[in-house]
Amino acid sequence: MTSYFSFIFLAAFLPAAVAVYAITPRRARWVVLLVASYLFFFWLSRELILALWVSTLAIYGTGLGLGALIRQRDSAVKAAKSGKREIRARFARKMKLVMAAGLLVNFGLLAAFKYLHFFASVIDGALGLVGITLNTELPVWAAPIGISFYTLMAGSYLIDVYRGTVAPDRNLGRVALFLGFFPQIMEGPISRYGQTADQLMAGHPVTRANLYAGTLRMLWGLGKKMIVADRLNAFVKPVFADYTAYDGGIIALGAVLYTVQLYCDFSGTMDVALGMGRIFGVSLPENFRQPFFSRTAAGFWQRWHITLGTWLRDYIYYPVSLSKPLKKLTSKARKRFGNRYGPLLASSAALFCVWFGNGLWHGAGSQYIFFGLYYFVLIVAGSLIEPTAVKVAERLHISRESAGYRAFQIARTLAVIVVGELFFRAEGLDAGLAMFAAMVCDFNGASLVDGSVFGVGAAGIGLDGHDLALVLAWVALMLVVGLIRERGVSITERVAAWPLPARWALWYALFLAVIIFGAYGTAYAPVDPMYAQF
Amino acid sequence: MEERETILEILDELAPGADFEGCTTLVDDRVLDSLTIVALVAELEDAFDITIPAVEVVVENFNSADGLTAMVKRLVEDQLD
Repeated sequence: MTSYFSFIFLAAFLPAAVAVYAITPRRARWVVLLVASYLFFFWLSRELILALWVSTLAIYGTGLGLGALIRQRDSAVKAAKSGKREIRARFARKMKLVMAAGLLVNFGLLAAFKYLHFFASVIDGALGLVGITLNTELPVWAAPIGISFYTLMAGSYLIDVYRGTVAPDRNLGRVALFLGFFPQIMEGPISRYGQTADQLMAGHPVTRANLYAGTLRMLWGLGKKMIVADRLNAFVKPVFADYTAYDGGIIALGAVLYTVQLYCDFSGTMDVALGMGRIFGVSLPENFRQPFFSRTAAGFWQRWHITLGTWLRDYIYYPVSLSKPLKKLTSKARKRFGNRYGPLLASSAALFCVWFGNGLWHGAGSQYIFFGLYYFVLIVAGSLIEPTAVKVAERLHISRESAGYRAFQIARTLAVIVVGELFFRAEGLDAGLAMFAAMVCDFNGASLVDGSVFGVGAAGIGLDGHDLALVLAWVALMLVVGLIRERGVSITERVAAWPLPARWALWYALFLAVIIFGAYGTAYAPVDPMYAQF
Repeated sequence: MEERETILEILDELAPGADFEGCTTLVDDRVLDSLTIVALVAELEDAFDITIPAVEVVVENFNSADGLTAMVKRLVEDQLD
């Protein structure tokens, strides 16, 4: 698959887009971005670009429809002397219907492309239990690139217009560019209309500072992806494909390395996306904030795939937990169970929707649903035991802010993350459970300790000592950068203040590292960006 | 100022011991987590006879006692007939 990491994209498509953008008059620059975005989409998904156009037109039209209703409502409220609440309620009902129609088109397309098979097999299975055999045979469709990402952006636009937090846009070009901007179409970040739409239309000039900072960030991401993630695939792929051939120690190592691979792949792609945005003067929202320094599972999700987490929080968690029936439940439960445990019932119901949605969003597979519910259980359990944990720590005179306790929390959370990713990557839930069982019951460290696992040949699995050294070196570099960022230091700003020779030395060092140490050639299979399949 | 005092009382009851008077990072610093916010919304709705829709649950409104007071005053006014 073509991606941001293909040679032709990096060496021809992107430079051409930047050059044409830079020489085009400011007012028409957004057109260059839109044409480039549609070319990129067409390149990857051919005629499926029609699905993107249907989504774009659907949210554009629905937005205008909502805008008309908002205007009618406001003038009706203004003219009325009493009964304003009823007028608002009446219009709210109409607006909800219009919004629902727009959402239905968008999420209907998503469901048709991604979930039809899954739902059909679930229904077949359920009917099978009562003795009815349907054997629904549906054609397998390739999904348009990034449909899971841009559908959430489309949904957020409609809900924001309905809520009145953004004005419905009369400019079809802006809506189209918001949804289709090529640096974020493959894997996000899932931005909100209010965050990026105006920036994309502004036609910011390509400045030397943005070009430097943007390409530097891209190189950093290319390093993560091509030096670490693609290299680790040589180990991870055989272990997950043929897990029965390996003992628990190797499976545990496979899970750890997959976690590193996934992070480098996804956050590396985000670095490339944000770097490209920067070149065009567009600031895309960050998607990662040193996730492996998290102290709890809930904290991890505030640092990993942030734009998905905040989407689910704003459009699922709060609307569900603050819905009328659940609000009533909260009020009653608080009187009975107090402030800590009372809200947990309603909150858990909302969290269930969030985590079920999170799992399902990643894919139509039992392992993804399990992955979502795994975090649901852990986060609710964490809330339940939190007061007890505080008391126990007090009894034992352990400071919960001490370095030792924090290290313990981080280590515990890392274990939780690695187990979660094991299930996430496994080829089906059965495989995940078998691998987990092997890891717990058949843990044998011998093959790890004697190093034979990294040998070349029959005993080795894809990685030799040279590969391992490179991976470790880059991960160590990422750790240092992460520690600096964790202290609130912006590396981009710091570097911008360096003298010119130092800045260029850094740029060339990263460039050469990617060229020399990237995993290319016949020894490595090219790896598609992992989140593009979700 | 009445609203502000009531809000401070509610906050004290929900998360005893925190400094709500001057803090402007209640959400950012996780003094108010998503669980507490759900309870806080229920309390505010009861105390002021208002409906707080999900769209109001944003950092700007919940980061400080002042933000909460401004939101409550606005909703009280909006929801009057």
